[in-house]
Amino acid sequence: MGYVLDTHMSQYIPPTLFHCVTGTWTNAAGAVTGTIAKHVAATDEVSVVNIPILIPSNSNALKGAYLKSVEIDFEILVAACDFVDAVVNKVTRGANGDVAVVAAQTFTYDAGHDTAAERDDLDQHLMTLTLDTPIWIDNDVYVLVELTLDKAASTTVDMLGAVANFDLKV
Amino acid sequence: MGYVHDTSMSQFIPPTAMMGVTGTFTQAAGAVTGTIAFHRAAAAQTSVITIPIILPSNSVGLKGAYLKSIEVDYENLLAAATSVTFALNKIARGADTAVAVKSAVTVTQDLAAAAGAETENQHKCTITLTTPEWIDNDVYYLLTMTIVAGATVTNDVLAAVANYTLRL
Repeated sequence: MGYVLDTHMSQYIPPTLFHCVTGTWTNAAGAVTGTIAKHVAATDEVSVVNIPILIPSNSNALKGAYLKSVEIDFEILVAACDFVDAVVNKVTRGANGDVAVVAAQTFTYDAGHDTAAERDDLDQHLMTLTLDTPIWIDNDVYVLVELTLDKAASTTVDMLGAVANFDLKV
Repeated sequence: MGYVHDTSMSQFIPPTAMMGVTGTFTQAAGAVTGTIAFHRAAAAQTSVITIPIILPSNSVGLKGAYLKSIEVDYENLLAAATSVTFALNKIARGADTAVAVKSAVTVTQDLAAAAGAETENQHKCTITLTTPEWIDNDVYYLLTMTIVAGATVTNDVLAAVANYTLRL
């Protein structure tokens, strides 16, 4: 029996799986007919979106999924945000009786989003977060990408989806 | 290094991943204890439930997932609907600063929209792509379920299952 090492795998993560806190969030049709979005209504506030990275894991070291980058598709509408920032959190699940442990991973924004002004402007965004050190996903961990949206009073945001890019070795 | 070409892969898509537009939708226990459902309350209206097809993709041509069909398990309760129609949309993700682009994928549903899929009953409707498609990393697929409902009918969508070939 052979084995597979595919270095071009990707996984679409729909907005319906996003976890949105602070703000009035609704499931809504996207700006382009036929698309769907998590929509946050206009209010001057700081909203936080967590994107669960749904890729396979493996209990053997150096096997399963090797997470390399995450792309986030979103639209800032009506007015620019005051600030948009991302964090990639690796969460080690707690053993029974223990809390989970969160470790922020270092990453690099793509060239179109490596300044604050590029991330928060009024536009359609495809923002890529590339891990400085890719990680094998052990069966005891999962990854959450946290996006903080500091909105202006009239800003609305549509979260369209995300795509995780990874190697698969099985 | 080996190679995988499995033509019998399937992926369960839970109702918690689905999105409803027009109507009152809730996450609810299914009619069978232990099941879960995406529930639409009774109202005379046309509701659309979107089911995201959550499959792996690949940036190399002819690799990754080759989407062939989707099965949707649902129940029309209390009364028949007028029709239940499925459509599959392929969304090409927008590049940075560009909008996404939607295109319709030609499909057939084995239960006719107004002569089988709409009856008061438990349904498993299979939506088959006329031409299966390899899923590129720059696209994703959304299946829409349009329910034309009278005043009484409620709907529970229990699950969807995407059938595909996996090549790695």
